[in-house]
Amino acid sequence: MSTEHTTDHPTPSQYWKIAVVLAVLTAIEVSLFYINRELELGPLNAVLLISLALLKFVIVVGWYMHLRFEKSLLSRFFTAGFLLASGCYLVVLSALGIVVIRGG
Amino acid sequence: MSELAHDTAVSDHGEHESTGIENRKLGMWVFLSSEFLFFGALITNYLLYSNRGGFEGVYPSEIYDIPFTSVSSFVLLMSSLTMVLAHNAQSRHDQNGARTWLFATASLGAVFLGGQVFEFTEFIVIYDMTLSTNPAASAFFVLTGFHGAHVAIGVIMLLSLWGMSRRRGGLSDRQGLNLELVGLYWHFVDIIWIVIFTVVYLLSAPPT
Repeated sequence: MSTEHTTDHPTPSQYWKIAVVLAVLTAIEVSLFYINRELELGPLNAVLLISLALLKFVIVVGWYMHLRFEKSLLSRFFTAGFLLASGCYLVVLSALGIVVIRGG
Repeated sequence: MSELAHDTAVSDHGEHESTGIENRKLGMWVFLSSEFLFFGALITNYLLYSNRGGFEGVYPSEIYDIPFTSVSSFVLLMSSLTMVLAHNAQSRHDQNGARTWLFATASLGAVFLGGQVFEFTEFIVIYDMTLSTNPAASAFFVLTGFHGAHVAIGVIMLLSLWGMSRRRGGLSDRQGLNLELVGLYWHFVDIIWIVIFTVVYLLSAPPT
């Protein structure tokens, strides 16, 4: 459809497989929520949940939004916006003590 | 001068020659990129107040229905699958397939919105937590409400494309690009929910 794609997009069967992966990751996230209630994993819970969310985020952006098949200019625009927003608000949350960044 | 003219020239099929990317598509990506700042502000606002003690009334984190929200999240996630299948069908000029998947996506979006209306109603009627109960409740309603508004706009755009395709027996190549742009918007709404589901619901902590 568009001429700017650098490689072929996934096939419908690959899209279904990606959806299964996303569903499994979501199930793991919800399971972790309940495991944390019982075992109180502490900071590990946050690290695992944020990692899983980031993984889902990257899968949707890369494969469903086709960013990994597009020209690098689009990736740079999108990544710049994400990093700018994340960095900006992490600074605010750190300054107000909501997010604690532990150094050596 | 001629070099400048070449750089800014637009080809017949709408591509900007200096980038090789269709202008509307580039515009959509830039718009979505800027939306990170919008939702980032709302998520930050929620994190600032979500578990700060000292306010009267119910806190959102005390009344979340995680199983219900998990199902809603799953529904929205699967709508991304149907959206990309609609785009794939359109790129193969399978007009019936594109129409079917477009309608499925709009339906799943509507189910998600119905779930959100149910959740809001439950919070307001049963738990008496409204927009003005406390800053935590206010931040929750503003964040999830704005996300819901984005989903509602997406559903309207999807139904418009579906209606257009039904009326004209399919979408032209130009309208096919519209489908791709609506798809990008829809996936973006999904990834924002991925973040909200984790940060707001699963990592919720009781007020201290």
